[in-house]
Amino acid sequence: MTNAEQKMRVKAPARFPWFESFLEGWSIFKQNLLGKIGLSLLVMFALMAICSYIPPLINPMYNPMTGVDPDILGCTGPSWKHWLGTDFMGRDILSQLLAGARVAFMVGVSAAVMSVALGTAVGMTAGYMGKFADTVLMRLADMIMVMPTLLVVLLLAAVFGQLNIWTIVLIIALFRWPGVSRIIRGQTLTLKQRPFVEAAKVAGASHMRIIFRHIMPNVLPLAFLFMTFRVTSAIITEAALAFLGFGDPGTVSWGMMLQWVWKTGNMFQAPYWLLPPGICISLITLSFYMLGRAMDEVLDPRLRKEDQTD
Amino acid sequence: MELRRYITGRLMQITLIFFVILTVLFLLFRLAPGDPVTRMVDPDMTQEDSDRLIAELGLDQPLGVQYVIYVKNFFMGRFGYSFHYGEPVVDIIWSRLPNTVLLFTTSIILSALVGIFLGKIASWHKGKKLDSFMTLGALVTHTLFLPWLALLLIWVFAYKLGWFPITGMISEEVWLDPESGFVAKALDVMYHMVLPLSTLFLIHFGAYLLIMRSSMLETLKEDYILTARAKGLEEKTIRNHHAAPNAALPVVTSIGLSLAFSINGGALTETVFTWPGIGRELVSAVSQNDYPLAQASFLLIAIVVLLSNLVVDVLYAYLDPRIRY
Amino acid sequence: MRQNRFAVKSFACRAVLLFVFVMVLGSGIHLTTSTASAGKLLKIGMLEEPKSLNIWRASDRWSSKVLGLIYQSLYIRDPKTLELVPWLAESDPVFDAATLSYTVKLRPAKWSDGTEFTSEDVAFTGDFIKEFKVPRFYSKWKFVKKIETPDKHTVRFYLKKPEAIFITRSLATPIAQKKEWMKVTEEARTKEKPLSWLMNHRVKAPVGTGPFFLKEWRRGAYLFLQKNEHFFGSGKEINGYLLGPYINGMILKVYGTSDAAILAIQKGSIDMFWWGVQPGYIDSLKQNSKIDLFTNEKSALYYMGFNVRKAPFNDPNLRRAFATLVDEDFIIKRILQGFGVRMYSIIPPGNTFWYCPDVPRYGDGLGREGRIKKAVQILRDAGYTWQISPVEPSGKIVNGQGIMLPDGKLMEKFTILTPPADYDPHRAMCGMMMQEWLRMVGIPAYSKPMAFGALLQQIKVRRDFDTFILGYGNLSLDPDYLRNFFISTNNKRRGWNMSGYDNPAFDKIANESADAMNREERKKLIWEMQKIIIRDVPYIPLYNPKLIEAVRKGTFTGWVQMLGGVGNMWSFCQLKPK
Repeated sequence: MTNAEQKMRVKAPARFPWFESFLEGWSIFKQNLLGKIGLSLLVMFALMAICSYIPPLINPMYNPMTGVDPDILGCTGPSWKHWLGTDFMGRDILSQLLAGARVAFMVGVSAAVMSVALGTAVGMTAGYMGKFADTVLMRLADMIMVMPTLLVVLLLAAVFGQLNIWTIVLIIALFRWPGVSRIIRGQTLTLKQRPFVEAAKVAGASHMRIIFRHIMPNVLPLAFLFMTFRVTSAIITEAALAFLGFGDPGTVSWGMMLQWVWKTGNMFQAPYWLLPPGICISLITLSFYMLGRAMDEVLDPRLRKEDQTD
Repeated sequence: MELRRYITGRLMQITLIFFVILTVLFLLFRLAPGDPVTRMVDPDMTQEDSDRLIAELGLDQPLGVQYVIYVKNFFMGRFGYSFHYGEPVVDIIWSRLPNTVLLFTTSIILSALVGIFLGKIASWHKGKKLDSFMTLGALVTHTLFLPWLALLLIWVFAYKLGWFPITGMISEEVWLDPESGFVAKALDVMYHMVLPLSTLFLIHFGAYLLIMRSSMLETLKEDYILTARAKGLEEKTIRNHHAAPNAALPVVTSIGLSLAFSINGGALTETVFTWPGIGRELVSAVSQNDYPLAQASFLLIAIVVLLSNLVVDVLYAYLDPRIRY
Repeated sequence: MRQNRFAVKSFACRAVLLFVFVMVLGSGIHLTTSTASAGKLLKIGMLEEPKSLNIWRASDRWSSKVLGLIYQSLYIRDPKTLELVPWLAESDPVFDAATLSYTVKLRPAKWSDGTEFTSEDVAFTGDFIKEFKVPRFYSKWKFVKKIETPDKHTVRFYLKKPEAIFITRSLATPIAQKKEWMKVTEEARTKEKPLSWLMNHRVKAPVGTGPFFLKEWRRGAYLFLQKNEHFFGSGKEINGYLLGPYINGMILKVYGTSDAAILAIQKGSIDMFWWGVQPGYIDSLKQNSKIDLFTNEKSALYYMGFNVRKAPFNDPNLRRAFATLVDEDFIIKRILQGFGVRMYSIIPPGNTFWYCPDVPRYGDGLGREGRIKKAVQILRDAGYTWQISPVEPSGKIVNGQGIMLPDGKLMEKFTILTPPADYDPHRAMCGMMMQEWLRMVGIPAYSKPMAFGALLQQIKVRRDFDTFILGYGNLSLDPDYLRNFFISTNNKRRGWNMSGYDNPAFDKIANESADAMNREERKKLIWEMQKIIIRDVPYIPLYNPKLIEAVRKGTFTGWVQMLGGVGNMWSFCQLKPK
């Protein structure tokens, strides 16, 4: 099928515009090498996260947090019983790694969802209301976006003493919404001018109704797609926090694992412990980044490869 | 002048934001559940002693009173005494600041320069192996987890190979020896700086490389480049003298935008390498509930971030004639 | 415009290079006079640098270590017997029952600035502490009515009432120079908050009577201490030891992490690491022929505490059952990897005089089955029942489930709070193991690591907890803390009685022990107190970790082993370069 025919097919009025654009996006995506690599890595991590439930079922000593091997009580290297060895308390490193994947997804996805929700709400309000509300909200967004997230979360972590993983996620989300809100605001501004919004206004629809019924459905998929792949900063922030010792001591995350290997002085003796968590954090960041870049190309035609011009 | 008005406006905004941060910090720390006295676990200190200490530190006054004193002190330049060191906070920050600035600015400049240079080259060889290699390399290094990279570098270069020191900024042998001159001392600092610098550099240069690369590609499509080519100028001259300087502009702005990211990285690097800077001081102050020090460090960083953003915006405006406020 | 950009870029480059240059220069200027004298210097590795050189303020370990080299007290502990021996004092204090006073004769000594050390300095120190109510010291001086100085080398202390800790704690207070602190004191008196003023006073060059004085402190990097030519012990034989110091000085190098310090000692950059070596390193250090490892005991206590105010932990039988279920062997052999001492009482066995060996020993000597059977018996006798009993009628041991209180209700889940694993892996592990040992008997325990500051808040301020595992890493050799931990008057917010133990019989004996001036008499009381506490177990003593320190062979000899490590005054005064 030639490009021209492809274009014409898409341009035909569709009952489900999202679905059509999804298909179009997918075909472009498929051609993107980075995207494919990113996606496969992500799938691998998702599998890891799902598998994390398995080891403790096999034997309680594989529990990442409280698993105690009756024969081993220290840092040992990889063996048949423990494929990645054990940490300073004799806990299985592989099960910790798998649990870390679960935590990473949980943190990433929750923070993304929360920040998308918040950012969309703020962006729509700002774009729709305009004038004062717009200025205030966007200034607020600027201010927050500019702050070094880690340091702020650090302060908050110290102030509230003990932070549990959900609080950390919430705080991270509170600092990620500005990015979303900007994009959404932009979209809202363009949508505001569209005829169907004008029509709704003429018909006497309230602001609320317009926002939720007309603007939001058109804005949300964009927000979702765009921001879901900006999830990485949440994962990295949680990892950095845990690394510095401000994470939730009851949660096994990759950052926490790095903290343990560092603080208990096994850094030099245990590469099997030092390397895996770091590689995982870096790879998951990389995969999201690649996916994000691929998504950029899908969503923004200008970024598509030159040989794919339309 | 347009620019002057813009700057004044922004400065006022910055002051406002700063004040908000100040107040938020005040409230945050006062309402904190972890107070410093409890942390001083000493069976010797009786209830009366700890009560007395709290009173002395002024932590028992009503919030309103504390706030007024707090703001007053701030504007008089009195940032209080660190709970932990017992010294004026200003002194502590002042002694740490040069260390951070040294490491930080050097790393940013180095990564920007190298990123620009390599990005330029990558764009020349677009589509070829070198380009893919560089792009992938930049992507991979940029997404490495900073503290982990730091640990890795320490493990390989300091522990296994022993080429560099594991931590710290100076070696006491050099600094204690009355014979060693300024050059020796400077070299010693640089010797200690190699690993932390490399960590920061590796993480950051990738981003600049990628931005420069896409920016170059865009710039090379511009009309005036076509004109230059038509004029018969050498390709190399065109790229270096005409395209590159313009293409470098977005990199400059991105330095400002990614400042927050860099600062996070700086704090982490300082902590792992025990580099005696502000970032490390903030982290340890926060873990010890040392309010005054943590507060002041954070405020300092906030001001730096806000002002840098302003500087970058102004610079951008100055350099790009298309943008005028 | 393009030329402009060029100009800007190259200007920026040049500006930055200049800036970097200035920064390095600036860091260089920080260095004042660096005069490392010739001769062998002892190099010691520290984990952190001291927070303050102000003796009244400094409460952290590192400041104490450094200041301990500079400021001295009238009496210090003998390394072998742990008895107090005269140091700045010449002889033992003479007690006069009629006037309730102690007379101390001073040794001739000089301050590091050359001036004479006199009784005025001692009186000044005591009065200072009393006047400003200096925390950490005040409780040991507030009962001192008056301090007289009949002559330059004699001090007389009049007490308001008999206090056992006078000799053991008050006379072990470091003495400050009147001259150094006089001016500051006068200024402080004019301030609104004199104590704050004093505590915030920046001491740059502390004047002391110790064998070393501070020559230079480069923040974040190292401290350089030089030999004090005026040290009163130089060349003298005190307490049977011929004192130096025989080294010209020492460099205390600050490493941020244990890793760096251990690597440094392996390379030979330092001669001694002034901190305990974690078990993870011991193997590699043992194999290193150039390193000596010294093992000493600590005066420390790591224990499990109960909230005695809260049911069901107010039942001593339940607590005794818990104590029985503790697998001491496991803790010492596996968690501490052999480097620990079993604790049967609140007072460590190393404190031989005060330690009472005659306390109940719950699970001692029994294997796993024996312990479970005994614990179950204790609980059964107290009226506890199970949904599934851990001990079947045949005597077979199974996994117990659902323990029920004497009133028939199912016991609710409860938590064992511990510090985070990276803060202290041993305590965190103990928490986890306790959870397992209790669960085997059907007791619903949950080990919960918690950030240390928040943990203390929860226990000491909010007082809302079930059980916890904490420790004191540095208990004084005087057993007064035994009184402080369990006396009912300390059962309050931020008080030292964290469990809420309230026993009038104990209170009475405890108060008597505080007044007892006769050592033997006091010992009897202290022993009695230990018996009571271990019988009621508001705290279950778990372990006392051994202190392992790494020292470089072949550079210096003369390390003296003592409770608390080899970094003690006797070592430093006798070390000789090889």
